[in-house]
Formats: sequence, structure tokens, C-alpha cells
Amino acid sequence: MSGTMGYFWNVTSYLLSGAGATALLFFIVILLSLPLGFCLTLMVRSKFKPLSVVANSYIYVIRGTPLLLQLLFVYFGLPYIPMIGKYFIFERFTAAIIGFILNYAAYFAEIFRGGLLSIDKGQYEAAKVLGFGKFKTQILIILPQMFRVALPSVANEAVTLVKDTALLYAVSVPEILHHAQSVVSRDANVLALLIAAVIYLILNLILTVFFKWLERKANFD
Amino acid sequence: MPLIDVSKMKKKFGSLEVLKEISFQVEKGDVIAVIGSSGSGKSTMLRCLIDLETMNGGSVMVKNEYLIQNGVYAKSADVKKITSQMGMVFQHFNLFPHLTVKENLCLAPRSILKEEKSKIEAHCKELLEKIGLSDKAMEYPSRLSGGQKQRVAIARALMARPEIMLFDEPTSALDPELTGEVLDVIKKLAKENMTMIIVTHEMSFARDAANKVMFMDGGKILEENTPEIIFKNPTCQRTREFLNSVIR
Repeated sequence: MSGTMGYFWNVTSYLLSGAGATALLFFIVILLSLPLGFCLTLMVRSKFKPLSVVANSYIYVIRGTPLLLQLLFVYFGLPYIPMIGKYFIFERFTAAIIGFILNYAAYFAEIFRGGLLSIDKGQYEAAKVLGFGKFKTQILIILPQMFRVALPSVANEAVTLVKDTALLYAVSVPEILHHAQSVVSRDANVLALLIAAVIYLILNLILTVFFKWLERKANFD
Repeated sequence: MPLIDVSKMKKKFGSLEVLKEISFQVEKGDVIAVIGSSGSGKSTMLRCLIDLETMNGGSVMVKNEYLIQNGVYAKSADVKKITSQMGMVFQHFNLFPHLTVKENLCLAPRSILKEEKSKIEAHCKELLEKIGLSDKAMEYPSRLSGGQKQRVAIARALMARPEIMLFDEPTSALDPELTGEVLDVIKKLAKENMTMIIVTHEMSFARDAANKVMFMDGGKILEENTPEIIFKNPTCQRTREFLNSVIR
């Protein structure tokens, strides 16, 4: 009995040691890809054509190719670019973070664009006749409403991100799934996979509860 | 000296001429009801006055300053200054849904006009009392009825102490039993000598509250007179037809 429990705790603590990388990646990517995504949205909506073409092409490429491919490209591919490749040699984890941020920013950009589209033009008109300039209109009136509309979709992406961290495996950064698989092949016992599943579920439960709380907080009634 | 002097105001949407060189004057304390069928240019005229639409020609003078002179606009800072003397109320209220009633009223004075906080709060309280919604200060707009929303929108516009109020079909989006409370607030303003231009389909309101009625049709002002004459004895055949179709 104590042997089984002992094995269980051993495996769990080993897997949790990989959860650190998962959590760190998650927070860095969320914190940086949200603002970057918003910048992309502004570029897409820019009246200056080249800017919106660049942003739209970027979003198209990122959404049109697998995240796994992008991660591999950042880590293995970039250093091979002639002349400038030597400036793009990153640590595994850094490469993964860059790949994830570039990828998630594109998705957030589309979410924010959808949020902006949902805002009635009457809001801009009311702001104008009350004397708000363009910048203050955006900051005080449009953005808060956009974030409220975008929140459920952002929550959705955040949950996906937790699961996507398993792709760290591709660039050999030890994380939960990586550890689980090595335990499974070492011990010929699938318990580790089940524990890994439970850890992902708990992480996403925390996230879901947090976003539900945020949605309630931002409910305008 | 009229408060607003419009001459040959012109507006085109593509090749469609919405306003065909219209001219009129607004004296201080005037309450002008603008009537006419949809598409006659009433709302566009109002929106041009407060720079929500760009005119294609003509002149508009507000308190002796040109907003636009013979089709040439004033500098954008001057345009802003001139239009800031006007407040506007929209058909669909356009309250800010993420802010409470009180925040809707106080946001502009606080972040643009930079008035003193205590002054803003006092003014806000006074206006909420005036529209009879003191108890709703902390509610979000989604909790209000249409009539209440429109009264809040009026109060929000009044926070900047405008000299002229523009109303763009303020009761058209309301249930019939809610129009009264909004019209009462507008009548209250009329009693206080507020200068107002009101685009409306409420003929009885135009008759009671306005001192001038303007009938627009096909981008032109066909007739402008006192409500007595417009409603009892209009000169234009078209005005008569319109009134016959709306008043049974």
C-alpha cells in the first residue's frame, strides 16, 4: 500500500517540477502577447495601407501554419538565415516563449478586432460631441467595452495556451507531459499520464474560475 | 445678432444631395422643431452643425464665429471650440454602457474640462434631480428604461453647460408611453430659455413647445414659421400633405 502511494507521490512531484516551466511560459506569453496583439489590431485598422497589409499578412501566416512548425522554426530555423542568423540563436526556453508570443498575439489581434467591430458607431459620436479627442475616446470609452466583449474569447485562448505548453516538448524543454512520458516508458505504467491530465485540468480549472470572476466583475449591470 | 447663422449649407453623400443650400437663423432662446419625412435631411442638418458630418459648402456662424465660411472650415481647434458650445442628444441615447449614470455624466467634465471634483459632483447631482433620476446615479445604463436612458443622455449633454442643445429624434426609439417623460424634460429646458433645435416626429410636442417650426423636404427648408401658422395654415401644399398624413 505504502509502496503504491509512495510511487504516486514520487511521480506527482516529478511531474509538478515540470509544471514550473508550464506556468512561467503561460504568464510570460499572456502578459506579452495581449499588448502585442492589441498593437496588431491597431495596425490592421490603420488607415495607412502598408501597415494594415503587413499586419494582415502576419496574422494570415501565423494562423495558417501550425504552432509546432513555428516553434521549430524559431529554435532550429532562424539561426540558419544567412547573415543575420547568428543574432537569432536562442536558448530553448527563450525560443519557445518567442514562438508562443508571436503565435498568440495574432489570435488575440483577431479577438480584439472582433471586439472593436461590436462597438456601435454611436459611441464614437457621443464621445466626439462631448469633446473627447481620438486618444481619450479610445482609452476611456472604446477599450473598456472592447475588453468586456473580448473577455470570453481571451479566456478560451488562455485555456488553449495551458494545453499548448505541452508543445515545449518539441524544443526539448522539460515540462509536465515530457516528464510524464519519460516515466511511462521507464516504468511501463500509464499512471503518470493520468496524473499529468489531472494537473492540466486543475490548472485550467483555476483559470476558468478566474476568468468567470473577471467576467462577473466586468458586467455592466 | 442670431446665435446661429446658417447660409447655403450643402451636404452630399456621393452624388446624392442631402442638403441643398439651406439657410436659417437661430436666435437666443429659440426652440425650433424640425419636422419632415425621413430622408428629408433633418438629421443631417443637425449633424453638420455639430461636425458629425462634413459639409460640402456654405457657411455656419455660431456666436459670431465661423465654423465654416463659404465651404472652408475653421482650424480644427476652432471647430472644436465652436462645437463645444453645443450639446447633442441622439435617437439611440449612446450612453456609455460600461459606466454608471453618474460616471456617464462626470467623465467628460473630469477628463476634458478638468473642472473641480466637488463642482462636478454638485452639478451632476443637480442635473439628476432635474431629470428626476437621483436614485439611479449608481446604476448602469442597462438597468434603465428607454425613457430614463434618454433623460440621462440629456443630463450628460447638459454637464458641459452648452448654450445650444441639439436633439436628433429624441423620442423615436422609445415606447409611446415613455416619450412623455423625455418631452417633459425638454419642455423644462425650454422654460429655462435654453436654445434648442429638435428634430422630431412628435407633432403635438412641436406645436406646444416650439416657437418656430421648420418643415424640411427633399434637402430644403420649404417653410419656416410659428407653430400656429405651420399647423393651422401652412403656405406650402407639400407641408399640408405631410401634416395631413401624420396628423389624423
